[in-house]
Amino acid sequence: MNRIAALMLVVATGVVLFGSPLWAVWSLMVAVAAAWYLDPPAVRAGLRVGIVLAVVFAASVTAAVVAWAEGPERGLTVGGTVLLRLLVLTVGGMVLVRRVDAEALLRLTTRLGFERLGLVLGLSLNALPRIAEASSDVWTAYSMRSRGLAGRLRRLPGLGEVMLAHTARVAEEAAAAASLRGHSALTRPRIELPLPVRVVIVTGPTDGGKTKTVLALAERLQHEGVPVAGFVQIGERESESKVGFRLRDIATGEEAELAKLGKRSEGEFGTRFRFLDEGFQLGREALARVRSGGIVIVDELGPVELRGAGHMPAVQRAVNTPGIAGAVVVVRRPLVPALLAALEASDAVVVDVEEVGGGSVEAIIDALGAGR
Amino acid sequence: MRDARPWTYAALFGALWGALEATLGTAVYLGKLPLRGTIMGLAGLLCLVCLRRLQPRPGVCLLAGVVAAFLKVFTLGGFYPGPIIGIAVQALAVEIAMTGSGGRPVGAALGGFIALASNPLQRLGMMWVVSGSEAVGSYLRLLEEAAAAVGLGGLRPAVIVGGIVAATGLVGAAGGMWAWWVAGRVMRRLGERR
Repeated sequence: MNRIAALMLVVATGVVLFGSPLWAVWSLMVAVAAAWYLDPPAVRAGLRVGIVLAVVFAASVTAAVVAWAEGPERGLTVGGTVLLRLLVLTVGGMVLVRRVDAEALLRLTTRLGFERLGLVLGLSLNALPRIAEASSDVWTAYSMRSRGLAGRLRRLPGLGEVMLAHTARVAEEAAAAASLRGHSALTRPRIELPLPVRVVIVTGPTDGGKTKTVLALAERLQHEGVPVAGFVQIGERESESKVGFRLRDIATGEEAELAKLGKRSEGEFGTRFRFLDEGFQLGREALARVRSGGIVIVDELGPVELRGAGHMPAVQRAVNTPGIAGAVVVVRRPLVPALLAALEASDAVVVDVEEVGGGSVEAIIDALGAGR
Repeated sequence: MRDARPWTYAALFGALWGALEATLGTAVYLGKLPLRGTIMGLAGLLCLVCLRRLQPRPGVCLLAGVVAAFLKVFTLGGFYPGPIIGIAVQALAVEIAMTGSGGRPVGAALGGFIALASNPLQRLGMMWVVSGSEAVGSYLRLLEEAAAAVGLGGLRPAVIVGGIVAATGLVGAAGGMWAWWVAGRVMRRLGERR
């Protein structure tokens, strides 16, 4: 029955595209009925008010232009045909996009020798619903926040910016998923971060207590006689907003300024902050203190480090010190997949301070102990 | 260590571009809005330049173009070759310009110039393929008359077409710089939570 419905949808689409305008009305009804049978949510998604209004607008403009050029009767016919075509194609497209089997596409392209292309096309198809959902959310937020025509126009460039940033975040997640699923066709060697020891990734929400947790951990380990080396980055605030970061050497308590909020044009590494050499210098010195049997603590690795810059060269040297017992790395939640994708170690343990709560320090110590 | 991000970024930014072409693009083309090629060209430029700044790896723009064209095929616009060729030309132009410039702003401007300047030439080419040289001749005569109507009578068709190409290209170059600026803001936004 599904095959018959699919066939009817294909035939209806063909008729609406190449048949006479009179047949187009019947085609629309057949297409909607077949699509409804195959996938009701796809029809609901395709015929949402916003989409239908856009289709009606496009058809109306076409009708107006053609009516002006060739007379009202012709304009009405062409506008009506365009309306029906768009509706059928929208419904058919939604069903198609939701039913395209990315795995089947991948198998086909792999057989043809284009595995990477198949993965990328499959990913793009799978991502479409997320992009549509995000666009809807962004548009709702834009409508709620913008008052009046002037306000809407002023905020319009921001709309694209938010969408692009959202797309980048989805791409980060997809990259991590691809790496973890072993899609080797999508991967290539980049920066080196071999961690021959047990690594614990500490994460959590912004201002969720990650730094406090690793400071408590360091204190506890030092109290137990375990050598600890590394640093924490402490955010500096002015009236609720971050204006900079200080870097503290865990072993000595020495501090240095790492980053300062600058003018937009002065931002470095794609951030709003200007970075200072003395902060990186202290970071290098702190990491160089690591000894055999000790634990390296890095709070935190950001996008800059995951691109191979910032603290990354010093971290690479530290984790390659012979005989170290383990490494604790703090990253923000969105970067956990990227870090996991970057690590050669497959047995990294993730501790989320929000999920674990008060027992985070014990959870990290347990995870480090398991690796000894 | 392995990194899949250049490919997933290309897939996602290509999907975003394809979705824009499938929705906004279809609406503006069917609505016969003026400057529709320029509007969609700027939207594509924004996606491509942003992608290339976030993932400065040669080839990502081309791959994003393939994805956008693949998605465009599923829409009404996919039945017309013009937008598909436009997507391919634009992806190629930005790819070559950005790679050639070493990923500098001048590459975005140059890519924008080539991408949008090719629009009028592409339209003439498609007209020649679909309707023949007579239609192209009629179109050029129409351009001569339009130029005469605004006080530019006596100009040869090649000069008029050259002027249109240069003007569109300049809009594209400005669009490329704008896309570079927006891409910088996107990068800051992504790094904001550092």
